[in-house]
Amino acid sequence: MDEAVILVALLLVAGAATAAVAQRDPARQALVLSVLGVLLAVLFTVLQAPDVGLSQLAVGAVLTPLLVMLSVRKIRRRGRDRDGAR
Amino acid sequence: MNGWVLAATVELAGGGAAALWGVTTGPTARRVVAQNLTTAALCPALLLLAQGYGRPSYVDLALLLALLGPVGTLVFARLLHEDLEGQRPSAWGLTYAVAAMGAVVVAAVCAATGPGRAMVKLLVIGALLVGGNLIASRALSGAFRGVRGG
Repeated sequence: MDEAVILVALLLVAGAATAAVAQRDPARQALVLSVLGVLLAVLFTVLQAPDVGLSQLAVGAVLTPLLVMLSVRKIRRRGRDRDGAR
Repeated sequence: MNGWVLAATVELAGGGAAALWGVTTGPTARRVVAQNLTTAALCPALLLLAQGYGRPSYVDLALLLALLGPVGTLVFARLLHEDLEGQRPSAWGLTYAVAAMGAVVVAAVCAATGPGRAMVKLLVIGALLVGGNLIASRALSGAFRGVRGG
């Protein structure tokens, strides 16, 4: 019966990954990515690989969204500066 | 399957599905709140899994999530503050409900472990989880607006 929790985690990861791809706005994509990172860590834990889950938690929940959001902000600022120069 | 894993499954299914639904639909403000509540909903599930599998070392994952989850939310609160200007994203009823659920789970796992160093660690996780969640929710609702500029 331990498969039930694996199934739930797998379904959630599949749903979150599909949703992350389906979003159009990069900022909203980063939000879904952060949730996906946490869900992946739970999936790894359920599959008895907590060491992988630990690194996934650090990278997926904080680092990747931070990188995406920083890039989005820089691009937005650059676009605004260009508009201002015209 | 023992009761702990069953409880973790229920929590994972409920909290995960609710967070996923909230983060994929609606305005940005609601998505940020849902992202914040993901931490508070899934950290107790990790604690229950550690107890269910009988492996105290799995508690480290919950500790890391309780520590890093609010940090991630603060990143969003800081970098999305232009989008969140004017709206004050908050769901205090939900926030307190999830925090109370986390406290209940920590108390249950504490009662199962018994006194000792493991229990101190669990209590630290509980404090980090509830405190971090409340701080992140306050930051999202614009309570620290003076710090957020720039």
